[in-house]
Amino acid sequence: MTRQLEQLVASGGLQVAWRRQDEAYAQCRQREFADQVSALARSATLSDLFVATVPPAPPRLTAVMQMVGDPAWLLLSTELATKAFPSLTPKLHAASWYEREILEMHGLEPLGHPAPGRLRLHNWPADHYPMRDLPFDVGSLSQLPRSNPGPAVTGQGVFQLPLGPVRSGPQESAEFLFFSGGEDIVEVDLRLGFKYRAIERLAEGQPADRAIQLAERLAGTSAFANGLAFTRAVERAIGSSVSTVDEHTRTLLAELERVHSHFGTIGRLAEATGLLVAASQYGLLKEEALRAAGRLTGHRYLRGVLCVGGMEIELEAGPRDELKTQVAGWVERSAGLKRLLEQTTTFTDRLDTTAILLPDYAAAHHVIGPVGRASAIDRDARRDHPYCAYHTVEFAVPTQADGDAEARFQLHANELVQSLRIMLQLLDSWPAGRERSAPPAGRAGSALGWAEAPGGETLHWVELDQEGSLLRWRARTPAAVNWHPFAHACGSGNNLTDFPVIEASFSISPAEFDR
Amino acid sequence: MSRWIGKGIATGVRTTSFPDAQSLGEEGAASAIRPVWQSLTPVQALAAADLCPTAALEASGTQSKGELRFDAGACILCGRCTREFPAGFTRVADPRVAVRNRDHLRTTVKWGDGQPLAPASLREAADQVQQRAFHLFRRSLHIRHVDAGSCNGCESELQMMTSPYLDLHRLGLFFTPTPRHADALLVTGIVTQNMKAALLETYAAMPAPKLVIAAGACAISCGSFSSSSMSAGPLDQLLRVDAYVPGCPPTPQALLHGLLLAVERATERNQAAPDGTHGP
Repeated sequence: MTRQLEQLVASGGLQVAWRRQDEAYAQCRQREFADQVSALARSATLSDLFVATVPPAPPRLTAVMQMVGDPAWLLLSTELATKAFPSLTPKLHAASWYEREILEMHGLEPLGHPAPGRLRLHNWPADHYPMRDLPFDVGSLSQLPRSNPGPAVTGQGVFQLPLGPVRSGPQESAEFLFFSGGEDIVEVDLRLGFKYRAIERLAEGQPADRAIQLAERLAGTSAFANGLAFTRAVERAIGSSVSTVDEHTRTLLAELERVHSHFGTIGRLAEATGLLVAASQYGLLKEEALRAAGRLTGHRYLRGVLCVGGMEIELEAGPRDELKTQVAGWVERSAGLKRLLEQTTTFTDRLDTTAILLPDYAAAHHVIGPVGRASAIDRDARRDHPYCAYHTVEFAVPTQADGDAEARFQLHANELVQSLRIMLQLLDSWPAGRERSAPPAGRAGSALGWAEAPGGETLHWVELDQEGSLLRWRARTPAAVNWHPFAHACGSGNNLTDFPVIEASFSISPAEFDR
Repeated sequence: MSRWIGKGIATGVRTTSFPDAQSLGEEGAASAIRPVWQSLTPVQALAAADLCPTAALEASGTQSKGELRFDAGACILCGRCTREFPAGFTRVADPRVAVRNRDHLRTTVKWGDGQPLAPASLREAADQVQQRAFHLFRRSLHIRHVDAGSCNGCESELQMMTSPYLDLHRLGLFFTPTPRHADALLVTGIVTQNMKAALLETYAAMPAPKLVIAAGACAISCGSFSSSSMSAGPLDQLLRVDAYVPGCPPTPQALLHGLLLAVERATERNQAAPDGTHGP
């Protein structure tokens, strides 16, 4: 089978090596890299751009790409002989934040990047790079990271309004610096990174099985999806197989996580528009979903049940039937609530044309997940790169064209319907028995793992040594992609009072970005 | 709008009677893990410490003589020990796991000279909890939350505290947007280098007397991140902490117990005791 992806890469004069049937590798010279990637990006999506270094080898710059119509991933890489490389950003906007991260974390400079400012470590000394050298001398850090001058917006009556990092309610820490002329948001400067925990660095040297708990702590509301993508990367690297029942269980729990996360997202939207009864109703639904997760797995956020090669738990028939009854109830109740919300003009008026993310912009920045799908980006890893038991169930991937908060609300609500549908199908066709999976072929290797988290596809790349411990781990979470368009959408003719609606409709976690 | 009112009335009252005893543990998940010393052998104790991904279980010595230290404040409830040694470690559904004193989350057992495992130092730490003027807040408590580097799990659970199931307002507890109006500082996360200054500024902006509550394994002990050089914590190295709520994340009921405990409206249960029933 000649594959689309292979043809595309061959058109650039590169050789493709298939390491797995859905994971292809190619290499090129450092000076060709920017041209190759931006040429590929005309018909493929840039899903990640990262540097992995395993000393004493030189750092390796890798672009992860995918294209419509081929379930495979392409990892195009180049060895960096120097401390600088030509920036991709002038030709490919989607590379911008990846390159800023590479500069900040590894000290490798993207030459020609239009705005290579800091992303996470705002007032850090210039010569410290957490992914290159640790331990870090923290003695000099004792003030708020506020010194980074944002984009200077000037004009008559324009003033700055900082929000955060300590927020008004029980929310995550992030700082938003608004430039306003009174009511309108002219521009917002995002300051993330307050929660930077250096998770990937922390995992180095740990046995892969033990590092799952770190992947599960990238973000609480996408704990299972990130844990799953990481575990799958490890399993693919060492050639471990997973039994049918365990694949079913994983799929079911991943959808349960999406359900509780989406209930929370819509509830926060209702709260942002002042509809407290609606917010309470979705609060009830979310609490019920979390309790269901607690009863099934012993943990409300589904942590501690994944292991390399399978699952630590087995779902019995009793709890499965109980869940099925509950899911049927959620289908009905969430449909009723959605209808009511659509009939409430105080809700729809606040969402309509708020924070528009135009499909063209979303396409140029390779936006993913519900945010991308609400701006007509028809991509979903569950359908486009089938994994676990998703090939056994029927579901649709809803999209919207308008790209405003209303579209994102509709998208979350429609996706919820599909997730509940998947859960019911899985519960109806539960495989019998539990065969033991064969022992893995080896312990060393590297591979890419993925999953569709509630916020979009999450990609984890791991490299393991002979002992099965992590040499390098790269987590490209959906938040790493979608904060960038968030900042853009804020400035598209909105008022300061729209901000809670904007934030709720995007529903992105700072922790998942900061890592 | 009238439809929403109708919807609300039709739904009825869903609020739990917590902190009353009959509604304990209805969240379906474990609130804590506790060792059952009587059922553990030295071999198992040493093996369990190897399994633990955090500093919750640490062992030293050999089969013939040694000790096992358990710290519920570092436990992330990953369940490795309970799965491997179901008799030796038990999952606790009772959400009343918060304590006033950090040492109440710790215990040490020793073995040796043919003697089986026995708790060595259940610390009599009640006297160490100084009486401060927190009874002032018994009727109403305004809480300023600061996320100092969590994973969003704790925030998700804090948001669930205002959901109809728990409805913390019925108990006179409120989140407040400004530290100037706050009586209590509720901190989640490991206290990252980047959040340290914001956290201390928030604390300084609060009027005295003020309470500090550490919520979650990260705030108590840095949990999974104790070896991260990005951590400036744990919290009690920076601020004096009045209540600790273990968990990863703590369940909403556990968080509520912690808040009530901090203002002396609930009592503490000794986490280290084998049956967990008697307080200090």
